[in-house]
Amino acid sequence: MAQAGKKTVLIVLRHSPYGSSLAKASLDVALATAAFEQSVDLLFLGDGVLQLLPEQDSHSLGIKNFGRQLASLPLYDINCAYVDAEAAARYNLDLTKAPVETRVLDPKKMHQLMVGYDHLLGF
Amino acid sequence: MILHTLNASPASSAFFDCTRVVDAGDAVILMGDGVYAALQGTRACAELQATGVELYVLFPDAQVAGVNHPSAGIISIDMVGFVALTERFPRQQAWY
Repeated sequence: MAQAGKKTVLIVLRHSPYGSSLAKASLDVALATAAFEQSVDLLFLGDGVLQLLPEQDSHSLGIKNFGRQLASLPLYDINCAYVDAEAAARYNLDLTKAPVETRVLDPKKMHQLMVGYDHLLGF
Repeated sequence: MILHTLNASPASSAFFDCTRVVDAGDAVILMGDGVYAALQGTRACAELQATGVELYVLFPDAQVAGVNHPSAGIISIDMVGFVALTERFPRQQAWY
């Protein structure tokens, strides 16, 4: 996973996309981290899974479409997003339509994922 | 091993998500509104204790909130204790 001198970062996204500025901040951090060639992955946890709804239209808010920004992640070598299986089920999400490729994890697996990183950044 | 800082009340999604993800070997520091999970005899406190994590409450925050008698098994720490825990655990997750 980590090359010498490289730190691995897991960004934990726990908030809905437009209810606060946290989702935008987390994406900015993800892209900046990746731009500096650090290894970064995303974990959508709890309400964070709502960022993966496929038909977002933020036009009326005058701000960027979060889903569309997520779709650009592979350009930054962020190819896979991990997703809280329980939360996805709670919101009845169809992850096949999510803007990024996803891997679902139960809580135990989420913990196992988290301990595999040097740094955790919670948003 | 993860050091979790829980800075939200027991009714929050942060509390719910944190208790789902933590595992034995982790530690949780209750701070800010998180200190209310240290109240004796509450379901929140029992839920946290059932996870098997080490539990700490940040004394200055608990004092402000009036949570002066944390439930048995929850260790009261000051800022120095907080720093010591950050040194012990290789990574930290903030819940807020």
